[in-house]
Amino acid sequence: MKKFILIVSSILLVHISFAQKRYFTKTGIVSFEAGTAVEDIDAINKSVTSIFDATSGQYEFALLVNGFEFKRSLMQQHFNEDYLESDKYPKSTFKGKITNIDQVNFKKDGTYPVTVKGILEMHGVKKEIETPGVFKVKGDDVSSTATFTILLEDYQIAIPSLVKDKISKTVKISVNCSYSILK
Amino acid sequence: MKKQWKKILYAAMLITFAAAGYGFYLFNKKPADIRTLPYKYELTASNLVGDFNKDETAADKKYVDKVIAVKGKVSEVKLEPSTGQATVILDSGDPLAAVTCSFYDDEAGSLKKIKQGESIVVKGRCTGKLMDVVLNKCSIEK
Repeated sequence: MKKFILIVSSILLVHISFAQKRYFTKTGIVSFEAGTAVEDIDAINKSVTSIFDATSGQYEFALLVNGFEFKRSLMQQHFNEDYLESDKYPKSTFKGKITNIDQVNFKKDGTYPVTVKGILEMHGVKKEIETPGVFKVKGDDVSSTATFTILLEDYQIAIPSLVKDKISKTVKISVNCSYSILK
Repeated sequence: MKKQWKKILYAAMLITFAAAGYGFYLFNKKPADIRTLPYKYELTASNLVGDFNKDETAADKKYVDKVIAVKGKVSEVKLEPSTGQATVILDSGDPLAAVTCSFYDDEAGSLKKIKQGESIVVKGRCTGKLMDVVLNKCSIEK
């Protein structure tokens, strides 16, 4: 009997670990807007790596700061050299969790609201953020979108007073990723 | 004497205008079109990934923000019509680290002919290494 239970439970365990689905992308998009009425400032990064676990809700993002594409070259230069110091802090990451992953049915096509909570690290500073987002399930593919706002001073990004009215103190960040199942 | 002052005044005005014009030009200057720039290094995907695996800090210094030409076998072509994104993954021989090449959106057409397993040379700007070494603003060189 004991042996039987052991066998059954081990089969179950194997089954559970196999059922653990992970979704992955290397081509996620993160963009931001930090402009004011005086000046439009926006940039886009199209090579964001992200992975999430459909069972536990564990969620991670990583991007290269130097990969943001601006419309004006000076902005890109200031962004990398003065504000984000991308030679010192080349990467930015998010590590957290989808707190209501149990409400997403990955077997059924549809749109599901989610809440994501975790630590956003950029410019060498770690800070907790929480944001609503949307998961869209279509067959084996999942896409996610989220928009949230951060404060520049939270990440010790100092804006010189000369350009203070041109750069917003808050930055609106948008995330748009299309995942496929990690084999 | 009066004439001299006038001359100086005109010169000062001219310099101010020129400076303002130059400032405006700099401010509005678009990022360089990588397609029109020569590449600084030409190497294989496996050598590029190897350099980053060996010493990432040194490789960052050498390659990041530089235009490079990378030769490798295409392991995947990803076209995302909804966002206009076009990406090519070059195999480096290392199963954990490839080279991700994010193309200019309007280069998507040139990727339609590219087949998996084909050997190509991609020109782009290196932005560093996450899991893969990443290039953006890419185009096909050969």
